[in-house]
Amino acid sequence: MEKSVVDELVAIFGKEHVLTANEDMIAYSYDAAHAEIKPEAVVFATTTEQVSQLMKLAYRENIPVTPRGQGSGLSGGSIPLQQGIVLAMDRMTRVIEFDPSNRLITVEAGITTSDIDPIVAEANLFYPPDPGSVAFSTIGGNIAENAGGLRGLKYGVTKDYVQMMKVVLPQGDIVTLGSKCVKHVAGFNTEAIFVGSEGLLGIMTEVTLSLLPIPQHRESALAIFDSLDNAAQTVSDIIAAGVTPSTMEFMDNETINAIQNFKDCGLPRDAQAVLLIETDGEENSAKAEMAKIDEVVRSNNATEFSIAKTTEDRDKLFAGRRVALNALASVKPNLILEDATVMRSKLPEMVRGIIDIAERHQVKVGIFGHAGDGNLHPTFLLDMKDEDEKARTDEAVKELFQLAIDLDGTISGEHGIGLEKKPFLMNQIGGAGIKLLQDIKMTLDPKNLLNPGKMFDMPQQV
Amino acid sequence: MNMKISATQEAETHLLEAAKEFQKCMQCGKCRSVCPVFKEMGNELYVARGKNKLAEKLVSGELEITQRVEDAINECLNCKTCSANCPAGVSPEHVVLRLRWYITTKKGLHFFKALIFRQLLWRKWPITLGCAIVGIAQKLLFGIGPKNPVRHLFPLFGFSKRRNFPQLAIRSAQSQLPEINRSKAGQAKMRIGYFTGCAGNLIYTNTAKSVVDILTGFGYEVVIPKKQKCNGTPVLANGDYEGAKRLMEHNFELFRKYDLDAIVVSCSSCGMSLKKEIKVFIDDSPELSEFTGKVYDINEFIEQNIDIKPEHLGELDYKVTYHDPCHMVRGQGVRDQPRDLLKMIPGVDFTEMKNADTCCGSAGSYCITHYDTSIKINNHKIEDIQDAGVDMVATGCPTCVMHIADNLAQHESKEDVRFVVEILADSLRAAKTI
Ligand SMILES: Cc1cc2nc3c(=O)[nH]c(=O)nc-3n(C[C@H](O)[C@H](O)[C@H](O)COP(=O)(O)OP(=O)(O)OC[C@H]3O[C@@H](n4cnc5c(N)ncnc54)[C@H](O)[C@@H]3O)c2cc1C
Repeated sequence: MEKSVVDELVAIFGKEHVLTANEDMIAYSYDAAHAEIKPEAVVFATTTEQVSQLMKLAYRENIPVTPRGQGSGLSGGSIPLQQGIVLAMDRMTRVIEFDPSNRLITVEAGITTSDIDPIVAEANLFYPPDPGSVAFSTIGGNIAENAGGLRGLKYGVTKDYVQMMKVVLPQGDIVTLGSKCVKHVAGFNTEAIFVGSEGLLGIMTEVTLSLLPIPQHRESALAIFDSLDNAAQTVSDIIAAGVTPSTMEFMDNETINAIQNFKDCGLPRDAQAVLLIETDGEENSAKAEMAKIDEVVRSNNATEFSIAKTTEDRDKLFAGRRVALNALASVKPNLILEDATVMRSKLPEMVRGIIDIAERHQVKVGIFGHAGDGNLHPTFLLDMKDEDEKARTDEAVKELFQLAIDLDGTISGEHGIGLEKKPFLMNQIGGAGIKLLQDIKMTLDPKNLLNPGKMFDMPQQV
Repeated sequence: MNMKISATQEAETHLLEAAKEFQKCMQCGKCRSVCPVFKEMGNELYVARGKNKLAEKLVSGELEITQRVEDAINECLNCKTCSANCPAGVSPEHVVLRLRWYITTKKGLHFFKALIFRQLLWRKWPITLGCAIVGIAQKLLFGIGPKNPVRHLFPLFGFSKRRNFPQLAIRSAQSQLPEINRSKAGQAKMRIGYFTGCAGNLIYTNTAKSVVDILTGFGYEVVIPKKQKCNGTPVLANGDYEGAKRLMEHNFELFRKYDLDAIVVSCSSCGMSLKKEIKVFIDDSPELSEFTGKVYDINEFIEQNIDIKPEHLGELDYKVTYHDPCHMVRGQGVRDQPRDLLKMIPGVDFTEMKNADTCCGSAGSYCITHYDTSIKINNHKIEDIQDAGVDMVATGCPTCVMHIADNLAQHESKEDVRFVVEILADSLRAAKTI
């Protein structure tokens, strides 16, 4: 990077917020996905104004800029594909306003998601979206990826809680979108476009999120099945019975065995599936819902069903799920964690399809995930140094995406497209869909400088 | 393996061992949420996955050892918070240590470090004498207040001017106490070796005396081998694999000569090193397993073996909280025992402080070489201590005691910092049990 540009960056951000040393570039060349590209500079923003000045500089000098939260992304969104500048947002962590009477909190986009709950809990409120990475991802990153979590079925995902935001557009303009009002139809629903925009359309710097009252009571249970179909039927029947569990987590036999090998969590090794189910709300209604679940589970021939009586009981039931990823990670040197999603009615077909794909390509896969919303995490286990195994796994992953599409599902439920799934987006949304994305991008970022090359290519790049 | 292997080969071994660890890293970034150093620095170069990545580049040859690489590798407390929380089961601190050893093997040991680790610590008497001289000076100066001009001399020895030191021993514990301390309650139940650690010997001699009084008072014979030397923790942490190995071998051979039923340690890092780290330096053998299996943290030993009854204990009017040393809680899994001992004492009002098991930032010599960051980390600890509303902090690690006491003094905060065994001994003495 030219010295004059670096000097300008230092003038904007201050010396301690600009990095250019090779070692630091290595530290910001990757995230939780598998690609790796070194930027030429890393800057840490502390104000919206700085971000705006950066984009004006980038536009004047034609330098690509890639926003980054905490780099926990699983699709490579924060990797600086065309080098240039990485804009790290994780030093913008202030709470601007907590407004309990309107159940709103306004924060800077770099705040760690799990830092919100302790603040709002004082007014008995909580922020529902709870990705597995709550403690090491930012609200900005969550919005950019429209992150989901364990509670998606009942509480929805990030997009359901974004009320208002301040955004720096690619050419440096600062706009405020949305409103703090529950109802707001002045203009297009523009804030929605930025949810899931993967850092391509603008940089969120401040966000107002809506909050919900903490449910008074929670019931937790574990159901064990010796047949996949019974487990899947249970999921459908629970919903059909009019119950909306707050959590309904699924784990397959491969995952169960990985867990038991890793740490004895009391799961039977021959079980074909387990479901972890929670209901919450007013105490009587949470209990009544759980009673209905109890009936449904029994009528579907679960081999075991236990409801937690105490917090320790609950911790015991959830012990396996908590270490699921660790356990799978310990099976082989590497893993590829996918998030293909189908409607919950298609769950059994999806699970069987995945197992079939894995068998055909002779690769190992553990399946766990959020059964209630059909968002599974097929986790391929491999040694990336084994080129043959790597090639077979890549092939299996490709087929997995097609399977999701064929079942009217989606190639990504929550991790986003980024670099990893870019080649598959066309199959999902078609040529006209891609063109619309390109047109929107072109309008806001005519020089294609903000996180270029992610999600889709621009026409001249193809 | 007595064969001499070349330095290049040895350096390669360290890299290969590092690779075994960092290859497991999924780069998820969870270490960002727990690393005390990263919390202060805010640069991914200093977080565990960043160090794993540097190691990967050193192995692949894409990166050379540069000053910045060394700086990054030296920014680690070895607090094990990242490994305790890692979803992929990586122990990044082992990557860091291997890299430090790798760098030293490649570049040689700085002459100043070589002097300390391979001469002074090995010979031991110069350190003991030096401490006594400083100890006398401290007495003559009546402690060193915040404005004392003597502070201008501190930087000459690598210390910050702001720093407050504990009183060093004019007579070391090992010279005050005999080598064999007979049971004071009849026939000895066990013969126990006591590894005092440098701090127990040269600074916190009351801790060493408390250990001996409690054990002999409850019918154990305590042997303090006079030839024991540093266990090697500061040596290995500073990159000197060879120096640490020599010390470990020495202590291993020495303690084996005494026909001991158990070995107790009152310093968290010494305990971890004699139980675990030693296995990295000495080839596996039944003798080694027997040795490591005999090592106990003093709190652990008392809890497991001594039946302390209410009538043994005198009343103490202490309001206490407990700080978990990293090398006790994560290094040895000792969490409940010291708390249980404290709660047993009549009159002791125990309050669990917030974040009791987060690192206090001392990390042995880290708080000498990286004083400013270590104090920033410690400031969180001070806040939590103050919030607990106690008049005493109990713990089990000399560098924690030193660092927390230093920073409490800088905050003009009055809490006393002491070892759990000292408090227990106070109570046993109050009831004339020992
Ligand atoms: C172990 C693990 C578990 C996970 N569990 C879940 C889960 O349960 N559900 C889920 O949805 N995801 C999950 N993820 C994926 C990941 O944590 C989320 O995608 C998260 O939202 C990323 O946030 P981040 O701050 O790390 O963003 P980054 O990874 O740094 O960036 C992600 C994208 O957001 C953009 N971006 C970041 N900040 C801004 C901003 N302020 N303005 C504009 N664009 C921005 C970046 O350019 C990039 O494209 C998991 C990841 C891991 C490693």
